[in-house]
Amino acid sequence: MQQTLENFYKAVRAAGVAVAPANSIEASRAVALVGYRERGILKHALSMNLAKSHADQLLVEECFEQFFRFDAFKDSARDSTAQGGDDPTANAAANAEAGGKEKSTAAPRYEGELPLAKMLMAGDRTALAVAMQQAARDAGLTDIWFFTQKSLYTQQILQRMGLRELQDEIRALGEGSCPTRIATAGALRTAKDWLYEEVRDFVERQLGMFGKTAVQSLRERHLQKTRLSNIDLRDFRTMHELVRKMARRLSALYSRKRKRANRGQLDFARTLRGNVAHDGVLFETHWKTRFVDKPRVLVLCDVSGSVQAYSRFLLLFLHSLNDVLKRIDSYVFTGSLASVNDIFDSYPVAEAIDKIMAEHGFGGSDYGGMLLDLERECLRGIDHRTTVLILGDARNNNLDARSDILQQVHQRAKRVIWLNPEPESFWNTGDSVMRNYRPYCHLAKTCNTLDHLERLLDDLLRAATAS
Amino acid sequence: MKDLYQQTFSSVAEVQRHFERHHYICDERIATCVFIAHNLQKPVLVEGPAGVGKTELAKTTAQLLDVPLVRLQCYEGLDEAKALYEWKYAKQLLYTQLLKDKLGELLEGTQGLRESMAKIHAHEDLFYSEDFLEPRPLYRALHEPRGCVLLIDEIDKSDQEFEAFLLEVLSDFQVSIPELGTIVARVKPLVFLTSNNSRELGDALKRRCLHLHIPYPDAALESRILSHRVPELSDRLRTEVVTFVQQLRELDLKKVPSISETIDWARTLLLLHAADLDPGLVKMTLNILLKFETDIAAAGEHVRSFVDKARQRAGG
Repeated sequence: MQQTLENFYKAVRAAGVAVAPANSIEASRAVALVGYRERGILKHALSMNLAKSHADQLLVEECFEQFFRFDAFKDSARDSTAQGGDDPTANAAANAEAGGKEKSTAAPRYEGELPLAKMLMAGDRTALAVAMQQAARDAGLTDIWFFTQKSLYTQQILQRMGLRELQDEIRALGEGSCPTRIATAGALRTAKDWLYEEVRDFVERQLGMFGKTAVQSLRERHLQKTRLSNIDLRDFRTMHELVRKMARRLSALYSRKRKRANRGQLDFARTLRGNVAHDGVLFETHWKTRFVDKPRVLVLCDVSGSVQAYSRFLLLFLHSLNDVLKRIDSYVFTGSLASVNDIFDSYPVAEAIDKIMAEHGFGGSDYGGMLLDLERECLRGIDHRTTVLILGDARNNNLDARSDILQQVHQRAKRVIWLNPEPESFWNTGDSVMRNYRPYCHLAKTCNTLDHLERLLDDLLRAATAS
Repeated sequence: MKDLYQQTFSSVAEVQRHFERHHYICDERIATCVFIAHNLQKPVLVEGPAGVGKTELAKTTAQLLDVPLVRLQCYEGLDEAKALYEWKYAKQLLYTQLLKDKLGELLEGTQGLRESMAKIHAHEDLFYSEDFLEPRPLYRALHEPRGCVLLIDEIDKSDQEFEAFLLEVLSDFQVSIPELGTIVARVKPLVFLTSNNSRELGDALKRRCLHLHIPYPDAALESRILSHRVPELSDRLRTEVVTFVQQLRELDLKKVPSISETIDWARTLLLLHAADLDPGLVKMTLNILLKFETDIAAAGEHVRSFVDKARQRAGG
């Protein structure tokens, strides 16, 4: 039974629930405690130990239903009975179902010794299912990863169940001229096909259970490394999920409370010092206090035509940043600066992005105009605690770059970071004015995959919270 | 605790029965959870919307086991000093002042600093003993001679540091106090942690706990709960109340009414001597079920149809 439980944990892991070894040990202990008698209680005991959230719980329960489902060989047999009575296997099966009371004389009977053939002809589904489970275990079916392995595993299971012997038997029966033997061979052949279908279905179901993670993680890994501009809109949802995961991870790392006052330990040194005036009578108590300022981040995101392919993802990223950092001011610009804090706060991500793109997107960018707006609206608010993050390609359409304003920003702000979706070799070509801005950035980097984003965000947060 | 109460929890069905006797109606899932938690001595993390009986579960379990309930309410900024122990600084300071003279007497006749120091060291570390310790809930829970039910309420409101600190308590039922050493629980308490999911909890904490999600009850369960909590309610009105509330939960509301609100509402109706639901009465008392003005307005449109359906279900 331990093996079955192990396989179940495997299936749960494949469904995307992280099951640590400690969890599985605890779950096994719980199972030993409650026993196997009641399905419901067993399910609850397992899900309670393995799941860590309500969503996990639903997944585990679904897995449980799928995993402990013993209806192989059942449905399809019934189906084929319904489809046509002339199917010999179906007849045999139907007869067996009726308890073998009215054995049809016309139905061929098998009198050989081969166990598989006997099971098939008797329509003994339980035995077949058990044999299949056993063969699957021997073949290591739980290791199945990709759909290309389907036929391999099907063949392996069939071989282990004794397919070759069955084929030999059919051939042997088919030779000669005895009509009953030939009829039996025909029935066995149909039964063999049916068996094949069943095993294939079974393997497919198992692939569904065990193969999910492999495909999913492969896809996610691929997405992480793909240029943002090359990712389809179709993958936007997956991407969103990925970015959110990333943001959550980072937020767990960095969003700690950074302010604490007047609680905790007595600061003895300060108390003594403070009470010197009272002749050493400890009159006033001083407490260990800790103030750490929350970082302030100002993000400026280009949504013009030239970065159109990226901007959706940059905005997605910006939205996630909004969750991570409490004090973040988000602006988008093409020619002039526009605050999008409200939109981010009041709409879900996809809608917010659509809205921003519709209201502010496209058109040619004017970095000089944007910087002028920045000077007018925000410069006063930028101080030594502020990090300014600019997302854009610095393609200025041959307008005035106004790098002098960026210089002022550079002088006032803690850090100025420029993330450019173009590779560095493209900077300064054509109308790109990166060369004017670059001296006034603490960090200017190419950023066009999720991996880049994550690494940069990590840097940014580390610097922001290290103060 | 396990030894003392082996009888109480010998099977899941029995847990369920005991709970029912204490007027806590639970489904098999909750009973299984308590059964496992008690037998394997694992903490339980209870999640679910507000008012479905998360805190009540811990209270009832304490009643059932006949042990005290130690409650620790979490909030932002909760730290060890508030949760575990604190030194009574004022008392310490006062005693140092009072004992100043005694110190002189004690050191009489000693020569040189080294000798004086040795003499002081010969006395135990008096100021950092349990006499000067202010016990807080966690410390109390570990010290209960017969064990207890420890309820850590709304753990999601506390900080991450505190969560990390809890890990030691939850896995080994012990805490380290630098001045006193490691304190091990006399009898391992049964721990319930509740969370409203306002913050994602750490994996380490979740891994140590059994996870229990309590959803809103279905109509049958809610009806049974009501019959236990408000037994004076007539069968007819009970069916109407439950049907009405169940319909209300389908609406898109800011705060969906919980079982605790249903109970309050039933009591209110009883107080108003209502024999039957009618739209006017419902509209008047809707503020007991719904806590937001916008919700009340949104639900107001549906009151008539909901009441009709409720009365139909009750057979009127």
